[in-house]
Amino acid sequence: MTQPVLNWREDLKTFRERMGGLTEPKKALAKAQRDARKAIHEALKAGPLTIPEIAAKSNLPSNKVLWYIMAFRKYGQVAEAGQAGDYYRYEWKEASE
Amino acid sequence: MAKIKQRYDGLVVGAGIAGMQAALDLAGQGFDVLLVERQPSIGGVMVGLNKVFPTLDCSSCICTPRMAEVAHHDRITLLSYTELDSIQRDGDGFHVSLTKKPRYVVEEDCIGCGKCELACQPLAPHEFDYGLGARAAIYIPHGNAIPQLPVLDPDYCIFDGNCARVCPTNCIDFAQQPEPISVDAGVIILTTGLKTTPIDAKKEYGGGKWLNVMNPLAMERLQSSNGPFGHVLRPSDGKIPKSIAYVQCAGSRDKSIGVPYCSRVCCMYALKHGIMLKHELHDTEVTIYYMDIRAFGKGYEQFYRRALAEGVRCVKAKVARISEAENNDLVLRVELIDEGGRVADVRHDLVVLSLGLIPGWQPDGSVPVEMADDGFLRVRDLAIRSAHSSAEGIFVAGVASGPKDIPDAIVEAGAAAMEAAMYLDRTRGRQPEFAGAGAQA
Repeated sequence: MTQPVLNWREDLKTFRERMGGLTEPKKALAKAQRDARKAIHEALKAGPLTIPEIAAKSNLPSNKVLWYIMAFRKYGQVAEAGQAGDYYRYEWKEASE
Repeated sequence: MAKIKQRYDGLVVGAGIAGMQAALDLAGQGFDVLLVERQPSIGGVMVGLNKVFPTLDCSSCICTPRMAEVAHHDRITLLSYTELDSIQRDGDGFHVSLTKKPRYVVEEDCIGCGKCELACQPLAPHEFDYGLGARAAIYIPHGNAIPQLPVLDPDYCIFDGNCARVCPTNCIDFAQQPEPISVDAGVIILTTGLKTTPIDAKKEYGGGKWLNVMNPLAMERLQSSNGPFGHVLRPSDGKIPKSIAYVQCAGSRDKSIGVPYCSRVCCMYALKHGIMLKHELHDTEVTIYYMDIRAFGKGYEQFYRRALAEGVRCVKAKVARISEAENNDLVLRVELIDEGGRVADVRHDLVVLSLGLIPGWQPDGSVPVEMADDGFLRVRDLAIRSAHSSAEGIFVAGVASGPKDIPDAIVEAGAAAMEAAMYLDRTRGRQPEFAGAGAQA
């Protein structure tokens, strides 16, 4: 393997400029994602819940909650925890955030 | 990036199942092949499917060994994440211009550990799961991806450098730029694949508007063991659906959206979905609203009978419109043909539109081939020269020349590779050790 000689910190600055910087829509999206994560984490602190239950507690639309839950599940922060009627329950796996 | 030579015997454009098969068949005859794919991974549509009909074999179990074989073949050079810019005739051969898109990762040094993806915070809709799942801004396309390398999406990058900070081989390269590549090729095989008709093409069906109206390829992902939800769930709220409807010909045989032809696979994939859904969700009703069931291939009629026997309901009806009721349920207004045209409103939890197949790529003057009236690549004679495009030395296989199922695409890929080999023999000859007995005589 050839060892690359990359100065990524310098390159990142140029890359950021080249890509138009951290635009307002990007900032807004990042904030919305942080807020959603926090709200879902908060909702799940009391124990496993279904998607509609998380949506009701977090004030997020249920389709968005499903999308975030599946993202967190993919990256190992959320796990399936049984079933309640026609819905699966999900629990937060991380001890703290 | 793989070391690119100036000259190849053959160029194959598109690394779905047809492209991979064509590349393997051509390389197997001793020709050096450059296989170009615009996506970050090879495998095309097939690697994202759950099962294949009528055998119900695992799709990726068939596809991934071919992907690995392509990647490790001595005579195949693979260029993923690369766009075809133009093909120009040069005598009997061709001059090809390509652009390698930046992954922002040094391919030779990346070990595919995935640490960059885990460290990356922003989430984006995952293309492989048709937006149902999420991915990070830097991500390995999927578990079966070849090459198993990440790609950075600048549209979602927040420039925090976390990916580079955790990379154990220092291979995140923010300075990468699109890289033009020029090669010469003796013969071309176009296997540019398919897209589905846009889900909102028929406004009366509410695709893109109602959350529980789905694309059939998205349903394939939901049914897959490595799918985005781990189960078949409604996108609106994660409910296990109790009543699922398929609307056939929702993007084919319809002049109003410019797709007058039959897409040839929709009846069979709807039946396949029905069977698989009944296997996973025993008490869920699956109803297929159809105009005609076209089960024309080997074992297809038996497959249709099997679906009926397993409880899939097939109702001869035309769906006029779909509206949304409370709780994101859907109400289908249907004309029931076998009941004298009676009109009924039927409620379902989830609806899959059996969208039509349209070309994944169309010639725009950059490649000297002609398009047929249906938008697919024109072939010279469907009966006896089905792999010949309108241009000498350019061959075509798979859905690039018209809708077809996987077995037909594979057979056609083999034919295209054979035609390409014969063209090379006619124009250039080949190394004696690979020539057949007839050629040596």
